[in-house]
Amino acid sequence: MRRTPFSLLLLASIAAAPSVAAQNAAPATQGEPRRSKEVPVIASGEWSGPRTADGQPDIAGFYSNTVGNHGNFTDPQAGPPGEASEAAKLPRDRRAPSRVSDPADGQIPYLPAARALQADFAKNFPNPTRPRYIEPLARCAPAGVPKSFMWHGFEVRQYPGVVLFLFDSGWRVVRLGDGPRLAPSIKLWNGASRGRWEGNTLVVEVTNNNGKALFGRYGDYMSENATVAERYVFDNNQKRFNYVATFTDPTVYARPWTATIPVRRYTAADEPDGWNFDVQKVNAPGQPLRYEHVERICAENNGPFGGGAVGVPSDGPVIAR
Amino acid sequence: MRQLKFLLATVSIALVPPAFADDRPVPPQAVPASTAIPRLASGKPDFSGIWQTLSEADYDLEPHAGRRDAPPGPGVVEGGTIPYLPGALAQRQDHFARRAKDDPRLKCWVLGVPRGVYYPAPFQIFQRDRDLTLVHQFGNQVRTIPTDGSLHPDADNDLFLGDSRGRWEGDTLVVDVTDFNEETWLDRAGNFHSDQLHVVERWSFVDKDTLSYSATLEDPRVFSKPWAVNVLLHRRRDRDFQLIEDYCYTLEYEHFYPHKDGK
Repeated sequence: MRRTPFSLLLLASIAAAPSVAAQNAAPATQGEPRRSKEVPVIASGEWSGPRTADGQPDIAGFYSNTVGNHGNFTDPQAGPPGEASEAAKLPRDRRAPSRVSDPADGQIPYLPAARALQADFAKNFPNPTRPRYIEPLARCAPAGVPKSFMWHGFEVRQYPGVVLFLFDSGWRVVRLGDGPRLAPSIKLWNGASRGRWEGNTLVVEVTNNNGKALFGRYGDYMSENATVAERYVFDNNQKRFNYVATFTDPTVYARPWTATIPVRRYTAADEPDGWNFDVQKVNAPGQPLRYEHVERICAENNGPFGGGAVGVPSDGPVIAR
Repeated sequence: MRQLKFLLATVSIALVPPAFADDRPVPPQAVPASTAIPRLASGKPDFSGIWQTLSEADYDLEPHAGRRDAPPGPGVVEGGTIPYLPGALAQRQDHFARRAKDDPRLKCWVLGVPRGVYYPAPFQIFQRDRDLTLVHQFGNQVRTIPTDGSLHPDADNDLFLGDSRGRWEGDTLVVDVTDFNEETWLDRAGNFHSDQLHVVERWSFVDKDTLSYSATLEDPRVFSKPWAVNVLLHRRRDRDFQLIEDYCYTLEYEHFYPHKDGK
């Protein structure tokens, strides 16, 4: 009697079940708007959806924000400096609210010197006369925190003790639980992340920020002294989350402030669109339709494009190592 | 779930001893912890972790003495040298002469496959039943190897990393990689390929902290026959080790940010 192989089979089949379920768990999302001025309220609380084998809420999949890109942080549908959108002509309440959800006036509470630097960038953005007026994302820099959530759609993958974000212009590994930290002197485009799950909410502390990515084309920013307390609040309908992040930086802000970015999920029920859901069909004859990201490059083929987003092709060595 | 798995593990261990009573192969779970390889719950080898080569492959795949820009290396090409077609060999020699300026790595571009694997910087493998994700510390290189039975796309892609599709042959992950462009080099010595490159990789454990990696390359425009490289990949076990982003191509402009008064 071969009891050992039987027990192995049992172990394998039971343990494999959650991941199979997880792949099919996402409810169809085609009814969710891709772009809207609304910011749905999602309360922190219990998670009632599927879980990964290590007990995390299973939220792996494709996502993209629903109010607009990084053109304008505090008036997300009004367009970047010098390129006001059609919607900018409408009364303010006909457009999405500021991503700044606290303070109530929707403005980042800059210290005066920091406000002057941000305003100087915005003024010069449409016709940049110096390298520092070029938005770093136009040069393929990682979009960083929080701009990665206002750019192309992105993918979230989960592993035991890890939530992995794959953005259009970089990646973030969020390690869950306590663990070693990088030395504070190391400053990074995407910072260093430590997280934990509280019910339906992924809570992440982002340290080691270099502040270089900026928040968008108006030049809103933090410095290398900033820490970011992120809360990813997932809706139990499994179709959305809100990214709620509190920025603390006494050298740039008069007080901590909070941004809210609404995000929706994309599933096989959605048509790819080259932006929010920039994917290709998986070639798997006989299997249900599903999509996958294609490789992301930028520095390799970067060139100038519109709106002051001046690309900087690199034709010489960047490193000597 | 955790409790259930623990219970099952207990049961399976309890059932193991009878298996030692004869000469049947020892199942993986019963191998002593010192030599057992990590496995997913599905039983497949679990390559999760941070890996890096100790080899000199990226300096020059072929045997070479030490020189100003490369430590000596015994070579990692099976048979010693790469079987170039005559015209391609001339191009390789031209690359070699211009390597200090033209190696795409100097611009921090995506290194391609297999170069990214034996480039001397760590990369982390994240693994699920349906795929492996390779996140390389250097540049912005993220590669997915699906292991879900999917095929290469019908569309003709022109990719730096190519399109990878994996399958298991026992405990060996075999990855078929196609749809390359011709932008990447194979090492710092100017070895190269065309967009006709086809790579077959084989990944397997030597022990729990060491991977055997081989890649067979065929390219009818550049090579006279298929050839292979073999390297070992070692688990980075330094205390508290983790990947530190190294986008690298940002270095030439990052000093402009964030805003600084008057600069």
